[in-house]
Amino acid sequence: MTLLSVLGVLSSAVFSGTSLLYTTLGEICGQRSGIVNLGLEGVLLVSASAGFAVTVLTGSPYMGVLVAALVGGLMNMILGYLTITRGANQLASGLALMFFGFGLSAWIGRAYVGARIIGLPRFALPGLSELPILYRSLFQFDLLIYLSVPVAILVWWVLFRTRWGLGVRAVGESADTAFASGRNPRLIRYQALFVGGLLAGLGAAHLSIAYAMNWTEYMTAGRGFIAVALVIFSKWHPIRAIAGALLFSGAVAFQLLLQSSGIQVSPFLLDTIPYLVTIVVLVAWGGTRRHSAPASLGRVYQGSE
Amino acid sequence: MKTRATYSVIALLVSAALMLAACGPTPATTEAPAEPTSPPVVEPTAQPTSAPTAEGPCLIVGALYGGPITDAGYNQAMHEGVMAIGEGIPCVEIIEAENVPDEAGATSTMENMIEQGAGMIIATAFNHQYPALTLSQTYPDVVFEHAGGWEMGPNFANFFGEPPDTWYMMGVAAGLMTESNRLGFVAAFPLGWTLTFVNAFELGAQSVNPEAETIVAYTFGWGDSAKEADATNSLINQGVDVITMHVDSPATVLSTAESRGVYSIGFQSLAAQQYAPEYWITGIGYTLGDTLTWLTSTVVDGTWTPIFLRCGIADGCMAMAPFGPNVPEEVQDRVNQARADIEAGNTTVFAGPIVDQDGTVRIPEGEVLSEGDMSTVDWFVQGVIGSPQ
Repeated sequence: MTLLSVLGVLSSAVFSGTSLLYTTLGEICGQRSGIVNLGLEGVLLVSASAGFAVTVLTGSPYMGVLVAALVGGLMNMILGYLTITRGANQLASGLALMFFGFGLSAWIGRAYVGARIIGLPRFALPGLSELPILYRSLFQFDLLIYLSVPVAILVWWVLFRTRWGLGVRAVGESADTAFASGRNPRLIRYQALFVGGLLAGLGAAHLSIAYAMNWTEYMTAGRGFIAVALVIFSKWHPIRAIAGALLFSGAVAFQLLLQSSGIQVSPFLLDTIPYLVTIVVLVAWGGTRRHSAPASLGRVYQGSE
Repeated sequence: MKTRATYSVIALLVSAALMLAACGPTPATTEAPAEPTSPPVVEPTAQPTSAPTAEGPCLIVGALYGGPITDAGYNQAMHEGVMAIGEGIPCVEIIEAENVPDEAGATSTMENMIEQGAGMIIATAFNHQYPALTLSQTYPDVVFEHAGGWEMGPNFANFFGEPPDTWYMMGVAAGLMTESNRLGFVAAFPLGWTLTFVNAFELGAQSVNPEAETIVAYTFGWGDSAKEADATNSLINQGVDVITMHVDSPATVLSTAESRGVYSIGFQSLAAQQYAPEYWITGIGYTLGDTLTWLTSTVVDGTWTPIFLRCGIADGCMAMAPFGPNVPEEVQDRVNQARADIEAGNTTVFAGPIVDQDGTVRIPEGEVLSEGDMSTVDWFVQGVIGSPQ
């Protein structure tokens, strides 16, 4: 293990963890308002394909990021309509949204498979530009990466330090009580879902436009579900989500390093390490009662008399 | 408590999803691994036998692909081969269907094509073989050709290029270009043919650079782009300075290597070069156009017979991409020399003695790995770092 390979695991954790972090932050917003989005995988796919398509068409990766975020917000509005306005079961609606996303993203992305894009530009931090290119390229990040931690802090601040955030959390704990205190639970849930969708869209954009620089069908490969797991891992707290995303993607990078280090362990087993780590941490942290799930999570708000 | 129940359901679903994800997608590739068992048959000259007529096409060819035909990878290479038929024999009409990965879809697609009058079906994905074989019994008047399969029938045959020799050439190029003596190979799954490609690549590199090692990283998915980027970065961070791959689309691996200033070698389609304008060394792709045109011409003039057809770079079924801008003249010369040796039959890639990673002799002196055994290889030659199973 050289210095480069150790730094490389950190770098890979940051690169591939960014899309997970944004997606997890988005899901935290939704779940804090009481809505579980199991269709996140579909939301990510549609955002990633739309963002990639727009990047190809306009030649501007930033335009692609913008569109991906908006599309994420709109996809979440579908879930909002089903679960908030129509009062449908959240889990069933989420799964329906996921399968809808599979089909829609394949259709959107069809014409853009194999298209070559100029990915989101990467900048070196001042002082690092003197390093040899191999090291420099490890820490040459794009705008979405630089913004990821500030955005996590912003989400925390909005949820825990603003009136709107208080409203979101109140609705997530008890929609009836929030209504009694003069808030509109339906409107707040729509707003939280939209913001959550924007964030998930940023995650999807990072995946297709900045990191992989490519669109392939079902390219998210389960990352939407990982994000749902990371929400539980981070106990619905935006700052802890940073650790969760880095841990998972760091484990992916670490198992790849192990695979090619020459140890004679089946790569099939090594490939399960990140999921095992996530499951173990979920189990280990499952017991505490502080920071538990929002009390109304998953419950349909039928309106208050 | 209702919330608690809901929460348990979520936990259950999430763990189920995690387990599914951990198990990884099944190795269902859109690419057809070849299983050649008979000597190559080479007659790739296009002979259009019937002139275009005003009444309609002399033959309708239905071609189906497992993935998108613009993937700059396997499917694009197959698509370009099929399109060459239309150029070689203008009276032929071609119907295409892309993104047909599964068997049920393949059956209905092929039936649909036959209903539209197709007299010849070219099925290019691994999963197309048995649906095509079954249909060939239902429609004895239709000719079925499968890319890379092994089954044969009265109106069912197969064709494919032979990559291992060309992988040896790529190894020569990589072995000469590397400074760290570490080459990287991003692979989807540890399958027989993939291991054969890695072995041929490493043997080629060793032939010019005895210090060269090939490091392998698996992504466990034919199209998990983010993981391909992770794997590419992981290899580069271990000092690899030439990267190549065996996944469906080379786009992500090549783009990632390019962004890190690392040389790359492409596989599947010659179109891959576009992703690595500066650090491209060279690449290999399937160029089956002439072979398919010849096969089609025999269907048109009624002389088609089922042949187990395998053809290599000397027959024009595989081709080497142009060299990149940073490849020195002398490296180009030596790669071209390696190519000439292979085409002339002076180089046999898997000629014994060949030992595996543990030092066990896998191919004794005087013997050659048979083509049938290439598909079931489960070991790496000495010099490869990574686990073969």
